[in-house]
Amino acid sequence: MSQETVTFSINEKEITVPKGTTVMEAAKKNDVYIPHFCWHPGLPIAGVCRFCMVKVDGRPKMEIACNLQATPGMKVFTETPEVKDTHKWALEFHLVNHPLDCPICDQAGECRLQDYYMEVGKYKSQMERPKVLKPKALPIGDDLVLDTERCILCDRCVRFEEKITKTGALGIFNRGDRAVVGTYPDKKIHHNYQTNLVDICPVGAFTSKDFRFKQRVWFLKDKPSVCPGCSTGCSVDVYAKPEVRSYFRVKPRESDVNGHWMCDVGRKTYRHMNQEERLRSGIVTGADGFRTRSRFDEAASVLAAKLLEADTNDIALLVSPQYTCEEYNAFFSFFVGKLGVKKVFQWREPTEKIETFDGILYRGDHNPNTRGLADALKKHGLPSDVKNGFDDLARSGAKLVIALVPEIGFQYPSLNAQISKLEELSFVSLWTINGTVFSHKGIAHAIPMKGYAEKKGTFVNFEGKVRELAHAFPAGSDDARDVVEVVAVLSEVLSHSN
Amino acid sequence: MGVIKVALPPDDKNLFQMAYGYFVTISSGMFKTWSIFWKQITKQEKSNTLEWPEQPATYSDRFKGKHFLTKREDGQIRCTACFLCATACPAQCIHIEAGEHPTNEIEKFPVRFEIDILRCVFCGFCEEACPVDAIRLGPEYVMAGGAGEKWVYTKDYLADRSELNGGIVSVKVENTKHYTVDTDLHGDNLLATDAPHMHH
Amino acid sequence: MTQEKPKILLKFEGMPNGRALKTYMAHSGYEALKKAFAMSKEDVINEVKASGLRGRGGAGFPTGLKWSFVPKDMPGPKYLICNNDESEPGTFKDRHLCSVSPHMVIEGMIIAGFAIGANKGYIYTRYEFQEEIGQVEAAIKEAYEAGLLGKNILGSGFDFDLDHYTGAGAYICGEETGLISSLEGKKGQPKLKPPFPAVSGYLARPTIVNNTETLANVPHIILNGAKEFRKYGSEKSPGTKLFSISGALGKPGVYEVPLGYSWNRFLNEEAGGLLPGLSLKALIPGGASAPLLTPKECEDLTLDYECMAAKGTMLGSGAIMVIDNRQSMVELLRCTIEFFAHESCGQCTPCREGTGWLNNIMVGINDREVGADSVDRLHLVSKQMGGRTICALSDACAMPVMSYVQKFSDELKAHLAKG
Repeated sequence: MSQETVTFSINEKEITVPKGTTVMEAAKKNDVYIPHFCWHPGLPIAGVCRFCMVKVDGRPKMEIACNLQATPGMKVFTETPEVKDTHKWALEFHLVNHPLDCPICDQAGECRLQDYYMEVGKYKSQMERPKVLKPKALPIGDDLVLDTERCILCDRCVRFEEKITKTGALGIFNRGDRAVVGTYPDKKIHHNYQTNLVDICPVGAFTSKDFRFKQRVWFLKDKPSVCPGCSTGCSVDVYAKPEVRSYFRVKPRESDVNGHWMCDVGRKTYRHMNQEERLRSGIVTGADGFRTRSRFDEAASVLAAKLLEADTNDIALLVSPQYTCEEYNAFFSFFVGKLGVKKVFQWREPTEKIETFDGILYRGDHNPNTRGLADALKKHGLPSDVKNGFDDLARSGAKLVIALVPEIGFQYPSLNAQISKLEELSFVSLWTINGTVFSHKGIAHAIPMKGYAEKKGTFVNFEGKVRELAHAFPAGSDDARDVVEVVAVLSEVLSHSN
Repeated sequence: MGVIKVALPPDDKNLFQMAYGYFVTISSGMFKTWSIFWKQITKQEKSNTLEWPEQPATYSDRFKGKHFLTKREDGQIRCTACFLCATACPAQCIHIEAGEHPTNEIEKFPVRFEIDILRCVFCGFCEEACPVDAIRLGPEYVMAGGAGEKWVYTKDYLADRSELNGGIVSVKVENTKHYTVDTDLHGDNLLATDAPHMHH
Repeated sequence: MTQEKPKILLKFEGMPNGRALKTYMAHSGYEALKKAFAMSKEDVINEVKASGLRGRGGAGFPTGLKWSFVPKDMPGPKYLICNNDESEPGTFKDRHLCSVSPHMVIEGMIIAGFAIGANKGYIYTRYEFQEEIGQVEAAIKEAYEAGLLGKNILGSGFDFDLDHYTGAGAYICGEETGLISSLEGKKGQPKLKPPFPAVSGYLARPTIVNNTETLANVPHIILNGAKEFRKYGSEKSPGTKLFSISGALGKPGVYEVPLGYSWNRFLNEEAGGLLPGLSLKALIPGGASAPLLTPKECEDLTLDYECMAAKGTMLGSGAIMVIDNRQSMVELLRCTIEFFAHESCGQCTPCREGTGWLNNIMVGINDREVGADSVDRLHLVSKQMGGRTICALSDACAMPVMSYVQKFSDELKAHLAKG
C-alpha cells in the first residue's frame, strides 16, 4: 500500500513528503536548514523557542516550522530577509539574559547559541540593562551540573524526563524571565540516562560532571563506533585527543537501534582505554622467574615458543564475548582449525542476569557480542550455549590457557577473583587491555590489547543486528594489538618453526 | 641564462672626483663621531651606553617579554582556564589543566598552567586571545639560562615570581560568579521575588 | 443605527432577589432551553451563527463558527468551559454579570453544551472573585435541585453536568488553552496550536471555551431569534455588550449598551462624564492590552469592533479606562509593562525575554538610569514581540507599548531629560 503524500515547496523547490510530515522534518530531509532550539527529532514538539520561524505564502504571520504540517501547494520560504530578521531577533531574545560564560562553559564550541550567532547574528546587542541572575552550578544529579542562568528554557530536558525515562524529575518553575528549570524540592536525578540531558541541551545549562572542565571540545576528535557496554550495541561517537592518546567521552549517534540516546553505563566505556588504566606493554616471565614488562614482539615469541612445546590436548581457550566477530574467526581458525585445540570455554560473569532489560536501552547481558561469539563457536563446531566455563576449565587439566579477557572490566565485578583463579593454573596467557592484571603476581604472560575504539570490526547485538565499528583511532599504546594481529604473528612464527 | 649587468661609473666623472666625494663624507662623519666621543669623555654630554648587566636596563611596559598571569583584586589568579590562549598559541607551548575551584566565587580555574618558554615565539597571541586579561607579556627580557634552568614556567612562577612584587592586579570587571551559589531552586530568593533580580 | 439602551444581559440588575432561580423563571427563564431541546443541534448552532454573536472575551471570534468546529461524529466525551477568569486590568463586566444573573450563564451553557454535544461543563472563575464564586456555586446548586442540570434535563434525554473551578489567580489562565492546562491541574500555560481546543482541548478531548458574557447572550438569541438579537448593534457587531468603565468619572461602572454606541454619549450619559476640572488625556478602550487613543482619535469613536480596529486599537473585553490629564504616562506604562512581565508564563522566548526586557528598560526610564534612545528601544523590542508566540500575551504587551511610545514619546523623553 502506498502512503499518501503531500507536495509542497520550500524556497520554490518542490518537495514530496508523506502526509502528516512537518515542514521542519521535510526541510531536514531535504537539506534545507531551519535553525531551531527546542525541536528535537526524538522528543514531542514544544514549539516554545520560536526560532524556526518560516514564511508561508498567503499567511499574515510567521509560522514555526516544527509544528507546521505540510499541506498540498503550500509555499514555504526560509531565506527571505523578513525570515532572516526574525531569526536574528529570536536569537537576540535568547541572548538577552544569557550570561557571557563561554570561557568557562563546557558547551563552548558545540553550543547552538554560538553557532547561530555566527550564522544569523553578528549584531551589536541592544541589551544594555543588567541581566537577570539565577542560580548556577547546581549539583542536580549524579552526573549533572545545572546552570539555570545559561538555560534558554527550551523544555527539551523536561520532555526527555517525561517521555523517554518517564521519571518526570524536571520541571520549569516560576514564570516570565524568572523561570528556571529544576528538580522538585529535595529531589535529584538518579537514573541511567541522565547524561542524555547534557547532549540534548542546546546550550551549556547541563554539563556532565564526568567531562566537566576536562577538555575544550574543539581539541577533541570523534570517530563512530559501537558501545561495548551491553548487548544492545548502541551507535556511539568516541571523543579522544589522539596526539596525547587520551579518551574523554562517549556520546550516542543516531541509529535505528538506539534512537538518539544511550545509557550512562555505556558512557563510561572510554576510561579503560586511557593510559593510566590500560595495560600498555606485554608481560613475560624470564627463566629466573622474574616478571618483566616487554614489547609485543617478545611477548608474542614467548607465547609461540610455549605453543610449540605444548601438547594440543593441554591447551585450553577461555573466550569472553567482548571481542569482534572478525577477531573470533581469526582466533578459532588458528587455534581450533589449525592447531586442533578442543577445549574451549566461555568467560562469563557469574552474577550476570542476561534476560533483564530496563525498558529503554540497557540490557542484562553486559557483552556486546554474545551472539557473535555463539555464531563463531557454532561455525567451528564447538558448543555455543552461554555458560560460564571457569569450573570446566579448572577440571579440564589444561596446562596452557589462552584467555581473551573481557575488555570492559567494570561490567565484570568478579573479574579480579576470576583472574586470581587463573593464577593457579600452570601457564596462562592473558590477552587484555586491563591494566590491573599486572598486580596479579601469578600471571606469567600477557599481551596488551587494543580498545574497541581502536579497531574495526563487527558486533552482533541481542536481536541479531550487525553493528559495525567503522572507524578506529590509532592504538593507545605502541604494543597494543587486536586479536587478528596477534594471531597473524603467532601463525607466522609457528609456520617458520615447522 | 640571464646576463647580469654591472653599472659602470658615469663617463663624465673621473676617479679623482669620485674619491673627493668619498673623503668629504667620511671625514665629516668621523668629525661628528669624534666630537660626540670627546663630549662624552669630558662629561659634557650623557652617554646612552649602559654598563649592562651591572647597570639595569628597563624596557617599555609594552615590550613583549616574559609572560605573567594577572590576579584579581582579592589576590586570586584571574585565569579561568578557558584554553583560548592555548588554542591561539602557534607554538603550542601552553599547557593547561582545568579544575573546579574549591570556593563558590570562581567556577573554573587552572590547576596547572605551564608555558614551555623554549617553544614560545613571543607573538603575543595568548595576550590577545585572553577574554579576561589574565595573561600578559611583560617587560622582563632576561631569560637566558644554563642547562639546569627550569624552562617550563609553572603557574606559581607565572603569577608570583619575586620580580612581580606580589603579583599584578588587573582591574577588568570581575568575571566571577554573580553571587554565592544557592543550591535551593525553590528558595525564597526566587519564588518570592516578583520583580526580576537585578545585578549592577 | 439605533441608540436605544435595552437591558438584556443586565435585565435583573437592581431587581430584588434578582439572582434567585425563582425570579429568573418568572421572567421566562429556562424557556430558551426548552425551545433549544425542541430544535436540532445543527439548528441551534445555525441560529447562533445567524445572530452574528461574537466572542465577548476580547478576540471577537464568531461564536457559532467556533461551535461548528467541534467534530460531530467523534465518540467519547466533549467539554464546554465557561471562561469566567476575568483578569484583564480594567475589566469587571463578567464579575458583575455572573453576580447579577448567574442563571442566564448556566442556561446559556446548557444550550451550548447541547449544541456541541458536551455533557460536562466547567465554570472557571478567577480566584479573587470570592463573593461571586459563592453566588455562582449557589446558582448551580439551585439548578441541580430544580432538575435543570444533571441527568435527563427537562425530560429531553440530554445530560449535562456543571462544575465550578477556581484558578490560582494567573492572568494567562484567561487564555483558553492556558485555562485548559490549569483545569487539567498543570502549570497554567497555553498549549501549542494546532491542534485547536475544539478538536483536542481539555484532557485531549474536543472542548469549547466561551466567555461568560458570550454564553449569557445565548438564551436571548435562542428564545427571541437571531433577528431580535440583531435589532441592536451593527451589521458586523450585532447585539448589546457590557462595558466596564473606570477612571476619574462621575459614575464609573458596568453598563450595557448596543455595539456601535457613540463614545461621547457613553462617557457623558452612562459614565457621568469626567470629574469637574479634568480633561481627557488618553483612552484605553479595551483593557490594558489595547493600544491607547488620544482625545482627538476619540472624537468620532463608536463602541464596536470595526471602529476600534480602524483606529488601530481593539474593543477587547470592553474595559474602558479613562486617563485624565493628571496621570503620568511614564507611571502608567511602567505599571502596564510590569503587569505583563509578571504575568508572562515564560514559555515562548520572545514573550519571556521580551516582556522582561521591556520591564528592565522601563525601570531604567522610570529611575532615569538610561538614555533617551531607550524610549525608541521600547518600540523596537515590542515590534519584534508581536505575532511570534503561542498565545497573544506577547502581543498584548507589545501593542500598548508601541502606542504609548508613538503617542507619548515626548512625555517619556521629557521625563528622562528631567533627571
